[in-house]
Amino acid sequence: MALFNHLTTALFDAILAPLGHGRPWFDLVLWPVLGGITALLVIKAVSNQAGITRAKGRIQVHLLEVVLFRDDLRTVFPATAKALAYNLLYLAYNIVPMLVMIVPMTTILVQLVSHYAYAPLRVGDSVTMVVELDDAVGGVAAADVTLDLPDGVVLEAPPVRTAEGMVAWRLSAQTAGDHLLRVHAGASVEDKVLSVGGPARKVSVLRTKGWEAFLYPSEAVPASGSPIASISILNRRDAPLGPFPAGEAGILAWFFGASLLAGFLLKDRFGVTI
Amino acid sequence: MVAAAAVLALPGTAEAYIGPGAGFAFAGSLAVLVGAFALALGTILLWPFTWLVRTIRVGNPYKNALTRRVIVIGLDGMDPGITLRFMREGRLPNLKKLAETGVFRPLSTSNPSMSPVAWSTFSTGVDPSRHGIYDFITRDPCTYAPMLSSTDIKNAERVLNIGKYVIPLEKPKIKLLQKSQAFWKTLGDKHIPSIIQRVPITFPPVPFRGILLSGMCVPDLRGSQGTFSYFSTANRDGQAAFTGGEQTVLRRKGNVIRSRIVGPDNGMVKGGGRMTLAFTLTVRGDGAHLAFDGGESFDLPLGAYTPWVHLSFRAGPGVNVAGIARFYLQSVDPEVSLYMTPIHIDPEAPAMPISHPAVYSVYLAKRFGAFATLGLAEDTWALNERVIDEAAFFEQAMAFCDEREKMFFDAVEHTREGLVTTVFDTTDRVQHMFYRYLDPTHPANRDKESTAFADAIQRVYTHMDGIVGKTLAEVGPEATVIVMSDHGFTNFRRGVNLNTWLYEQGYLCLKEGHTLSGEWFEHLDWSRTRAFSLGLTGMFINRKGREASGIVAEGDEYRTLVKELCCKLEALVDPESGDRAVRKARAAFECFDGPYRLDAPDILVGYEGGFRNSWACATGSVTTTVFEDNTKSWSGDHCVDPDIVPGVFFCNRPINVEDPHIADIPFSILSLFGHAPPRHMQGRMLFESAGGGPVRGVVDASRLPQSGSAPGARIEPEPTP
Repeated sequence: MALFNHLTTALFDAILAPLGHGRPWFDLVLWPVLGGITALLVIKAVSNQAGITRAKGRIQVHLLEVVLFRDDLRTVFPATAKALAYNLLYLAYNIVPMLVMIVPMTTILVQLVSHYAYAPLRVGDSVTMVVELDDAVGGVAAADVTLDLPDGVVLEAPPVRTAEGMVAWRLSAQTAGDHLLRVHAGASVEDKVLSVGGPARKVSVLRTKGWEAFLYPSEAVPASGSPIASISILNRRDAPLGPFPAGEAGILAWFFGASLLAGFLLKDRFGVTI
Repeated sequence: MVAAAAVLALPGTAEAYIGPGAGFAFAGSLAVLVGAFALALGTILLWPFTWLVRTIRVGNPYKNALTRRVIVIGLDGMDPGITLRFMREGRLPNLKKLAETGVFRPLSTSNPSMSPVAWSTFSTGVDPSRHGIYDFITRDPCTYAPMLSSTDIKNAERVLNIGKYVIPLEKPKIKLLQKSQAFWKTLGDKHIPSIIQRVPITFPPVPFRGILLSGMCVPDLRGSQGTFSYFSTANRDGQAAFTGGEQTVLRRKGNVIRSRIVGPDNGMVKGGGRMTLAFTLTVRGDGAHLAFDGGESFDLPLGAYTPWVHLSFRAGPGVNVAGIARFYLQSVDPEVSLYMTPIHIDPEAPAMPISHPAVYSVYLAKRFGAFATLGLAEDTWALNERVIDEAAFFEQAMAFCDEREKMFFDAVEHTREGLVTTVFDTTDRVQHMFYRYLDPTHPANRDKESTAFADAIQRVYTHMDGIVGKTLAEVGPEATVIVMSDHGFTNFRRGVNLNTWLYEQGYLCLKEGHTLSGEWFEHLDWSRTRAFSLGLTGMFINRKGREASGIVAEGDEYRTLVKELCCKLEALVDPESGDRAVRKARAAFECFDGPYRLDAPDILVGYEGGFRNSWACATGSVTTTVFEDNTKSWSGDHCVDPDIVPGVFFCNRPINVEDPHIADIPFSILSLFGHAPPRHMQGRMLFESAGGGPVRGVVDASRLPQSGSAPGARIEPEPTP
């Protein structure tokens, strides 16, 4: 996972935001369209196109049967059942291309989220940072976890430590910049970037060892022997994206809709049945 | 889109999103789920209301019915004499069984005895002077130009001009010219469902409470009644066009040929001309491969039809006109020859209305695949012009028949109560084109093979018998099953040019310096012409007040002229054989009394068997001779005296009368369902009661009409042993 994140992040850091993070529209239009085209190519290559065509045709036949013979319930019920059965078959035909596309599509999506979903905190904002300890590693208690603050970030309140191995600090960002917060857990040390003020840029909100590392690849995964499972910033601020829906969910929804639209518009040109 | 909307509405679930591939499936499936449930739910919820409305309006529509299900199998052109002969030979076991259970009688037909007229009488239950259809074509009385009798098609009048584009703001105006009202409309008003398939003169479909697929007179995509294409490296006869088709001369570079298919006019572009579809044909061994520019490609096996190929003509940005055609590669060496059927309207994306509801043709195409939609689907002109041979024509006709058969049984399956009417054209087309095989002395046999398809007509009759058998087994004895044809058949050996005859007799005059005319009355001097002939049986008087340059006054002058012509026509003798050519010439004013009687040809020429209007006469030409041999493959016909070409009437119920008429059938069907036929209908009730009438069994051969003395005038049934 660490290597995968490292490679994909390096790749996308190089190709995303060619106009800068302040102009997200380019990537937010380009990548869903590329995603839609990729999906078409994958579907064409790995799906049973004849089967999909047949299944769609049969669905249409039985729906039209319902429309045409609506006065005859003895036709309507079986026709509806058949339409739904062929719908299941249609879904089954889409499983293989879906499996093929999971990793590349999610990777693109995750990188878009990393680059465009969050804005740096404003100077003066309060922020809560939470460290979660890794039960599987053990050996370190919450009381043993400490935090080194760089210049420009101050502690607003003493840390709160829980018996479940969580430690939370309430901080305040005093100056702009990408501040490095250093967490000590026994002999282990892990860093977390806190982005404050300045221009729009890539902002990391979570550094974790868990499966979610795939979704938040901006910072390196903590070492496997580290007692720290994750470091997260709770007070996230969605980046404004102009006409596009903001935040993680907004980008997800936009990517979903735009890639679908591109796929539907281009399917005939690519000779693909979807 | 539905899925996208759902995700936007529920962003929390969006994290489960795993890519557009899943999205496509999800979107499509969700749409189906939503659509199916909405349709099913809507249907179920609405059903009690529709039932209530129906009950309040008409009560129980079957309250007085003698039957709740009627199946009409129309076998266009099935001849009683030939049927009886094949029946006796044991080739039609199902029809024989049907006749023995119920009845088989000749069915008197309309005058003139041709499909558009007879089927219009079947549809409406009235004679031609009430439905207004007398022929395939008639003349425009203002210009004498030919026009289709059945349909009037006009381009949209309201258009938006943007640069070179002409955007129509309304649909083209397509109007059915048949008058009166189809009996299935009456049934629909009584909430009795109907599925009507391919009955002639139903284009465009008139909305009613039922389902209809249009038949004869549906045009091809180019707007004609069928224009085939013939692509060849050989310039056959140096012709650019055949009757009913066009030739494109191909230039071969190695194994590659570039050419294009000519489609319909592009009405969206000013001066756009015809739309075309460029293709590359590559010869590969014994076959070839055809690839459209930027589109579909497919193999062309030698001597076999391709399946239906979808053709898409680009009219403008984002606007395509869809058609379908089948290809038949005839040779690749030494010459490359490729035949393409007329471009049929694509039933999945019809450019013109060919069904009611409009989705019915889509449903059939999705269910069974693309199918022939052209009214005269079987390409008789391609065989007439010898562009294809008998084998290719027969294969095409039977393929279309198979398409029709699937639709028919689908209709039967979906009509547990109500009416199904399907017309099969194959019987008519095959008899037209293969009649010469029944007559070894037929002039059309000259220079043609004349034995290989001697059984073609019998094979078609037997095939239809199979359909009847399957139907009887499927519907059981409770349903009323009628097998009928609109007319019979007779030989067509000699063509008669009535225009030439009129010219010789001084009734038709040409302009100074001309002794012959071109098609459509070219060079006719209307100021001196009293009579002319157009179409297959009609002779018109150039009447003052009706025709633009009419010279014959109404009243005595008109009636005297008509009588005079009728007498002379009935005395017309073929100088070659000494046979009378015309059995009966009837004055329209004596035959018709309906509101559209003035549209009728003034004289209906009822030929003897063996004779018919010549090809040149039908298109309004004056030629050198009155009589000529018919040497075309179109060697059988029925445009003669209606008395000698009755159709067939089979029913699994005995009937009341010995002489059923085609107009009796719609009348009787309405009565069978327990509803009084409208007063304007002219038929009789054939069925006395649920048990039927006294007329039953197979007709005696002696009751079949005789058809004159011309050799081979009619293939008579073998005498009873």
